[in-house]
Amino acid sequence: MSHSEMSRAIRHLETTRKMKDMLPRFFMRMMERRFSNEPLAWCMVGVPPELLKAFDLLFEWPENFGTMCASRLVAPKFIEVAEGDGYSPELCSYVTNTMGYCKLFKETGEAPEESPLPGGMGTPAMLLGSGFICEPRWKWFQSVATRFFNVPVYSSDPLAPPWDIDPHNPRIEEHYLTLLREDLAGQIEFLEKQTGKKLDLNMLRDILSLSHEALGYWRDTLALRKAVPTPMGSTDYFHAIIPQMYLVGDQEAVDFYREMYEEVKDRVERGVGIVEEEKYRFIWFGLPPWFNMGIFNYLESFGAVFAYESTYNVGDFFDVDLSDPLEAIVRRTWQRAVKMHDYGSEAMPELCNPAVFGGFVGSSLLDELVDDFSLNGAIMHLTRSCRAVSFGEIHTKNRLAKAGVPSLVFESDMADPRLWSDAQIKTRLQAFLETVDRAKEGGKINDS
Amino acid sequence: MTVNDQPANNVNGSTELNEDEIRRIKTKTGKPVIGYICCFAPPEIISAAGAIPYRITGKPGKDTSSADAYSEPYGCTYVRNILARAVEGKYDFLDGLVISHSCDMVQRLYGIWTYYHPLPYSYLFNVPHQLTPWAQRFYKRELGFFRESLEKFTGQDVPDQKLSNEIISYNKNRDIIRRLLKQRKEKPPRLEGSEIFELLLAGGTLPVDSFNRLLSEKEVQFASRRPVNGNKPRIMIWGSIIDDPALFKIIEEAGGAVVADDTCIGFRVWEKDIPVTADPYDGLTEHYFVNFQCPRTDRGPGIKRFDYLLERAREYDVDGIVGYCISFCDPHKFDYPDLRDYLKKEGLPMLLIDDNYSFEPEEAIKTRLQAFLEMF
Repeated sequence: MSHSEMSRAIRHLETTRKMKDMLPRFFMRMMERRFSNEPLAWCMVGVPPELLKAFDLLFEWPENFGTMCASRLVAPKFIEVAEGDGYSPELCSYVTNTMGYCKLFKETGEAPEESPLPGGMGTPAMLLGSGFICEPRWKWFQSVATRFFNVPVYSSDPLAPPWDIDPHNPRIEEHYLTLLREDLAGQIEFLEKQTGKKLDLNMLRDILSLSHEALGYWRDTLALRKAVPTPMGSTDYFHAIIPQMYLVGDQEAVDFYREMYEEVKDRVERGVGIVEEEKYRFIWFGLPPWFNMGIFNYLESFGAVFAYESTYNVGDFFDVDLSDPLEAIVRRTWQRAVKMHDYGSEAMPELCNPAVFGGFVGSSLLDELVDDFSLNGAIMHLTRSCRAVSFGEIHTKNRLAKAGVPSLVFESDMADPRLWSDAQIKTRLQAFLETVDRAKEGGKINDS
Repeated sequence: MTVNDQPANNVNGSTELNEDEIRRIKTKTGKPVIGYICCFAPPEIISAAGAIPYRITGKPGKDTSSADAYSEPYGCTYVRNILARAVEGKYDFLDGLVISHSCDMVQRLYGIWTYYHPLPYSYLFNVPHQLTPWAQRFYKRELGFFRESLEKFTGQDVPDQKLSNEIISYNKNRDIIRRLLKQRKEKPPRLEGSEIFELLLAGGTLPVDSFNRLLSEKEVQFASRRPVNGNKPRIMIWGSIIDDPALFKIIEEAGGAVVADDTCIGFRVWEKDIPVTADPYDGLTEHYFVNFQCPRTDRGPGIKRFDYLLERAREYDVDGIVGYCISFCDPHKFDYPDLRDYLKKEGLPMLLIDDNYSFEPEEAIKTRLQAFLEMF
């Protein structure tokens, strides 16, 4: 691997291109507050950002910091520092990126100069973890607080029923809802103690309302990608998730997603795609290689587009009654679990856990997606350091093969470019396109 | 003939031989055999419901290519090994499967296994990762749902008293095990660590009373052993699941004595009694959830979470720790740097063996261990 093989993404939408101005403005606002010594929380996806907004808390996402370090190609430096400290190369590269960053931060007392953000992630006053998605998250903040920042930690613990337990059984529902409610109450108690503020439920309701309005536009935008040619590709998709972490609950996010919706809708009406001739319509499984997002443009150069991505897909589980905002947060988590259960129980039972966002592989959902989005292939990124998302792709491949949809699994990583083998991956991608050509002509699907 | 009538010499620490034994017992008693992985779903409840709990083990180093059609290469090699064996029909004597949501990989194994190879009974026992009061309440409720599912499958009710009696029976075995473990404190110990470990392995694969007979016989045999001369470095093993005595034997061949361990089929599950409480589910919650020291459970930050390990090391006068991590074992691999530094501060050296669940190449592992043991 050489860094010259990595390429930055070219975005197709005006709205996402404008993020290059919007996000730095946001980060500068955060920096100003940080310099005023406001307490900063490091958080994990799964912690409701609306809750953080309601406490007017400054927050940073080490996972997102990992993606930024990856895209700037500085992650290897941090990861290697962590490996020198005893962390296995097999461990989540978002985590090892954080651990290396923290070690350098502690040694010098300031953010390493390679940090993608001015001032890096800042010094946390608290850590808000979540078991939503995967298991390394339990150990991540435990280790950060043990080795580097001795600050209070709260990790929330959402669980969902496995595939063979009926979530519609009222006793089962209560079993899980009780846990979700009590866990959220524990999270709020922690935040009230750490911030010295009482949660304002009215403010939380307003924030949730704005958040759900923004997410509604996002959902509707994604549905527009059913159009042929698809009006929006993966480079726009993966960048457009960032405001969901930082700005959701603000009017700015509503405006951003509405503008995006309008732009994409306009493209659909005018029949504008992202490539000149759309030859292949794919679904993407797994985390993207953040250090080489240009790979999506590379595929586009062959007329291959992605109309759907399984990861970071929020679904539409936010259509809940906001009169009790806390119950609304619990219910949207539960709705997601039940929906995934109902869809996924046939195909990938263990992915019913809402803690796994690769949960969109339920067979009936797959069938729907293939039809609705006119898909004729799937590409799966098997990320060596993230088994939570990639373990199960072989099963998905089996299911797709049954449906006559060819798929390719290729190996690399989400943040560690050392695992990228450019020539080999590109050769396999090209060979896969030929497989899809044959399949379209009614030929046999090769096992890629 | 009841299970109680089984002669103990039919069984031993070889899980393969015990597979044959369990088939025989199954035929004789007509009881269903329920395989389990991880202890969060207590075998005592399975047994109280009239089934035979059987701790599923893999075969280290065996080819796992038959798992390739169902799972990725980048996954826990232990899980892939079990999946390969399941695909090959090696567990065809099982009537049921219970897997706890202990770690992500084991949870995934449940889904893949039951989707492609369904069994008459299967249950995923969900386990929170925190020890908050609400997590403990969830775990206790989950015990109740688990019991109900077993009652439905076996057709046998499990009243509290029956479960308490079962717990008492299992605790009798723990009592003998503690006496045997105490002998590991001798200098040098008369019993090899691998001998004890083979017994503990057998405990997972045998009905409670068969195991009791085996333990009692072994205790008598061991008592007649003469003290031995000379000293060996005293080693404790910490780490991922070990369901084969190979590592113990390699350490012994390298000149060390394994006097204690912190692994999930070893000390973690057998060292202490299950508290006998008015509500038996309270005792089970305390033993299998609150006090069960698997790093998949979040015990909060700070090195205090390893205090139990240090206490055990001191109790058994351990010279050094051998860490054992299976490929892609996130919970243990994340804990390793914290634990290594903690032990170093306390003057206990640690050697990490990173393995793909094969204990190979044996000579290379032995050479590293020999170099480590020379320190003492």
